[in-house]
Amino acid sequence: MSTVPIMAHMVSHYPDRETSLAVARALLDAGVAYLEVQFPFSDPSADGPVIQQASTVALANGFKVEDGFELLAEITAEAEVPVYLMTYASLVVSRGVEAFCRAAAEAGVAGLIVPDLPFDYDEGLYAAGSAAGLDVVPVVVATIAEKRLAEILARRPQSLYVALRSGITGSETVLDSASLEFLDRLRADGCRVFGGFGVRRREQVEELAPHLDAVVVGSQLVRTLSSALENPDEPQSAAPGVEVVGSRGANGANGRGSESTEAIRAVPPAARAAAVGAVRAAATELVSGSGSGTH
Amino acid sequence: MQSRYNDYFGEFGGRYVAEVLRGPLDELQEAFCAALEDPEFQADLERVRDQFIGRPTPLLHAANTSNELGGAQIYVKLEGLANTGAHKINNAVGQALLAKRMGKRRVIAETGAGQHGVATAAVCATLGLECTIYMGVVDRRRQRPNVFWMELYGAQVVSVTSGAQTLKDAVNEALRDWAASFDDTHYLIGSALGPSPFPDMVREFQAVVGRETRQQLAERRLTPDALVACVGGGSNAIGFFEPYLEATRPRLIGVEAGGRGIETGEHAARMLGLGRTGILHGYKSKFLLSEDGQVALTHSVSAGLDYPGIGPQLAHLGEAGRVEFRRASDAHALEALRTFARNEGVIFALESAHAAATALDLAPELSPENVIVINMSGRGDKDLFITARELEPEAWKAFLSEEEASL
Ligand SMILES: Cc1ncc(COP(=O)(O)O)c(C=O)c1O
Repeated sequence: MSTVPIMAHMVSHYPDRETSLAVARALLDAGVAYLEVQFPFSDPSADGPVIQQASTVALANGFKVEDGFELLAEITAEAEVPVYLMTYASLVVSRGVEAFCRAAAEAGVAGLIVPDLPFDYDEGLYAAGSAAGLDVVPVVVATIAEKRLAEILARRPQSLYVALRSGITGSETVLDSASLEFLDRLRADGCRVFGGFGVRRREQVEELAPHLDAVVVGSQLVRTLSSALENPDEPQSAAPGVEVVGSRGANGANGRGSESTEAIRAVPPAARAAAVGAVRAAATELVSGSGSGTH
Repeated sequence: MQSRYNDYFGEFGGRYVAEVLRGPLDELQEAFCAALEDPEFQADLERVRDQFIGRPTPLLHAANTSNELGGAQIYVKLEGLANTGAHKINNAVGQALLAKRMGKRRVIAETGAGQHGVATAAVCATLGLECTIYMGVVDRRRQRPNVFWMELYGAQVVSVTSGAQTLKDAVNEALRDWAASFDDTHYLIGSALGPSPFPDMVREFQAVVGRETRQQLAERRLTPDALVACVGGGSNAIGFFEPYLEATRPRLIGVEAGGRGIETGEHAARMLGLGRTGILHGYKSKFLLSEDGQVALTHSVSAGLDYPGIGPQLAHLGEAGRVEFRRASDAHALEALRTFARNEGVIFALESAHAAATALDLAPELSPENVIVINMSGRGDKDLFITARELEPEAWKAFLSEEEASL
């Protein structure tokens, strides 16, 4: 089966530096076209429970923004594909927008994705980003007003990031024809288009790939990692089976409280290797349509 | 003339949201501005205020306390006598009527103390709206009685187990719900914060408190020298201060939660140099943040003040010097609660007791011709389980044991 371009998402320092570096390497090995590294934030309200929980663990283990840049520098030195940094406004403005952009550029990242700094409330991110040579990527949705979309396109962004369903990351995407037409229109405009939110299966990837420059796979890979870390004895796969989380409500869905936060604290080497292996298999399956093989 | 839709207040405010929420917020701004100009909407609001909230709420002269202190005359706006026990109902009614006008059939809200959740659930019951309330499990535990009331009003109360499991996490969860449900759902935010137009909208719906107070003072030929209100997110304070924001007098004093003392780090005071400028929950303001911008944990004996951010307009008015900020500790608030109960027969909500504590300090500094008005934003019934435990630990423990034995 043919290889498709994937933008693979991971959370920096989840559950710790070592493991997340190994995850980055595994994703790169699997042949992803882009890597998207998220800096953990205490209140990631545009993400679902899987990424929030991963962020909570990384923060409980002492993640600092400085550590994130240090890890990024190591990853980008090895990576042959572009690495994007995703995070929230609070981390960017706390460091100072210009200082943040400079640090990101020095760490070798290709671009920034900050969903709560839209172009018209951006605190200077777009200007500072381009001054630092970064591709600052606007996040759009298919339901965006025409006028706003025109304003965004008039700014000639290098790339666009399309959130393919209304709502948060981590729930199943339903690909309707209106969404696909929207993607085709954006690409006709000459932008590089990344799209995702809720992509889990190879079939979805194949369906989306013709309409995108890269299919973003976010929660699914983080989920593969967290399940493998929590249930080290069970075989892992990114195949359809991994059942998770409804979209509405927090009841129980993200109910892994402080206990499992503790449990994940020190990852034994064998568990780490197994979990990273699960991520590699999942990513390979998504990229190449082969290699999950754990069923 | 102040405008009713501002977006920014100095450098604070704004609409820092992911694109998915941009459409619903644009729609809300339009609907809000149109409703303010619509006599029919205003008439509906008046009717519900009169028949359901129980407005106007009284303005009490706290004569005994004033005499005892020998300083300024203290007045108390008894906002806690509104239906459901706090000023929160003013905003809940306004936004729920707006939601209906927009054709929404469902309302979601976050709650910390549970007062906003109770108010929202009650309004949804009377207006026939489906209601979901998000509440952190930590808050749910310490404000359990309010969960009973919300459910009795027919609301679904969803426990939030993410993050710190408190009010800020309930806001995150409500935002997530809204991002997937805005077609038929209104997010009824509970304080004068969040992405625009919420801070403007909540101020407008709470301004009834200040306007009524001004009229009640005028009827008694009184001119206020200072208004004092507690500040969580800032809705009761901004509504109370609203008629006076453009003037230079009276003094407007906002009281933050000093908790166990600033030096312990266990507090929720963001002004006076403690907070950092940041962006959270869609708005720019002063927040309690780590150097990296991670949101800090807060503490207050009053759940309603236990939040890391302050509404953008108050943050601006604080920096501009129009609103003075002070702090009251947990202990100081409890002491004020006791004073007003004994002297005036009024039990303050723990949040409002922070304002009372500051007023008790301020009164002796002024003379008997001066007038201080406290906004008692809520009454204290809801706090029974906390107040009794703090003030009479042994007796309360004995009572609870007997209760349990009798079940
Ligand atoms: C009685 C009462 N007062 C004050 C507050 C604090 O909110 P705000 O600052 O928005 O008035 C609350 C919040 O729950 C409350 O219940």
